[in-house]
Amino acid sequence: MCDWCEKYGDGYERWYFNPANYARRLYKIRREEAESSGAETNPQAAGGMAVIGPDFQEARDQGDLEKMQEIKQKAEAASWLTHFGQVITLEEALKIADMIYPIGLMTCSCRRSMQGYPSEENFTCMGMGPGMYKWERWPDTYRGGMHYLTPDEAKEVITKMNKRGLVQTVFTFGTPYLAGLCNCDYPDCAFIRTTVDFGIKLLWKGHYVAKIDPELCTGCASCVSRCQFKALNYSPSKNMAYIDQFQCFGCGLCVTECDQGAISLVERAKLPALANVW
Amino acid sequence: MLPTITVDDEKCGDPLSCRKCLLICQTHVLGLGTSVGVKKYRETDPQYFVVRGVRFDKCTGCMDCVEVCPNNAIQVSFSEGGAR
Ligand code: SF4
Ligand code: SF4
Ligand code: SF4
Ligand code: SF4
Ligand code: SF4
Repeated sequence: MCDWCEKYGDGYERWYFNPANYARRLYKIRREEAESSGAETNPQAAGGMAVIGPDFQEARDQGDLEKMQEIKQKAEAASWLTHFGQVITLEEALKIADMIYPIGLMTCSCRRSMQGYPSEENFTCMGMGPGMYKWERWPDTYRGGMHYLTPDEAKEVITKMNKRGLVQTVFTFGTPYLAGLCNCDYPDCAFIRTTVDFGIKLLWKGHYVAKIDPELCTGCASCVSRCQFKALNYSPSKNMAYIDQFQCFGCGLCVTECDQGAISLVERAKLPALANVW
Repeated sequence: MLPTITVDDEKCGDPLSCRKCLLICQTHVLGLGTSVGVKKYRETDPQYFVVRGVRFDKCTGCMDCVEVCPNNAIQVSFSEGGAR
């Protein structure tokens, strides 16, 4: 079972369907911790959205596995306590948009940091829950502005971003307080990149794993460009798409792209070898 | 092998509006950090942005960023045992 569902699910099917995890009280308590733990929790302070300092890259370059493991464990522990994400499907994101209010659309700090996008081209990040009201009180905290969305508008925006190929994720701000409904891609999302490039799990895999029906796949390859996790490729010898299910994050982006209905999502929990691969 | 990437912040006055190096790098190595660290309200202020080789492990040494920079602000070098 997903650790977070186990700890914070409280009888709900997923921890992110438990309304208690969107409560402001939690946010208040944890915020000080986040600030005091410094650079690791403030990616911008670390130099861009690095999240992990240069030590890890240096240790890896030197083949120092022990050091790498040590940095990984420390970074993961800090991130899981304060700020980490999990991949969700479009359907789940739409359900959350119906559940939580308010939702604000704002500029994405990862992509601004890595590519310097002007604010008007960069509205891909969403914040949700009562914490959103603080932006109105302290506009300086947040630059670029924010648009409050009705539940229907939020669902429309999320669906559009899924169509564009962005992965839906939820993020904690002081775990288990969920306040980020993000739309991310490789390589500029700091969380996807750190997780995929370094194997440091700042972004957890989702509750599903994608599966191809060999009877239905025509080998058109249009799904291949959808995968942000290096889990999906086209096999010319089989003339079919191929999914590395151990690498699949269960985002479902490939599913929505296949007009043959050849890809489906199966529950991670039903596959013994993958049930604990997050 | 890891590069040493240095950016002269004096020469790079307004990275957010220039961002030529960020866009040209094939492997998205460069990113914007902030010169003030964790300081409320200031870390998101564009005037404190600085260019850094954030993802330097993916630098191939192509020198495209060095060449594209209008202000000659970036230096990239490789040497045995060097980093960043
Ligand atoms: S997590 Fe995703 S949407 Fe949020 S700031 Fe990063 S890339 Fe942007
Ligand atoms: S989009 Fe569908 S039919 Fe086309 S390659 Fe992918 S799985 Fe096969
Ligand atoms: S294979 Fe499909 S579901 Fe799995 S990570 Fe890639 S796009 Fe997402
Ligand atoms: S030298 Fe090439 S790979 Fe390295 S940071 Fe510059 S543009 Fe990127
Ligand atoms: S190209 Fe040069 S001046 Fe422009 S942002 Fe990069 S380092 Fe600064």
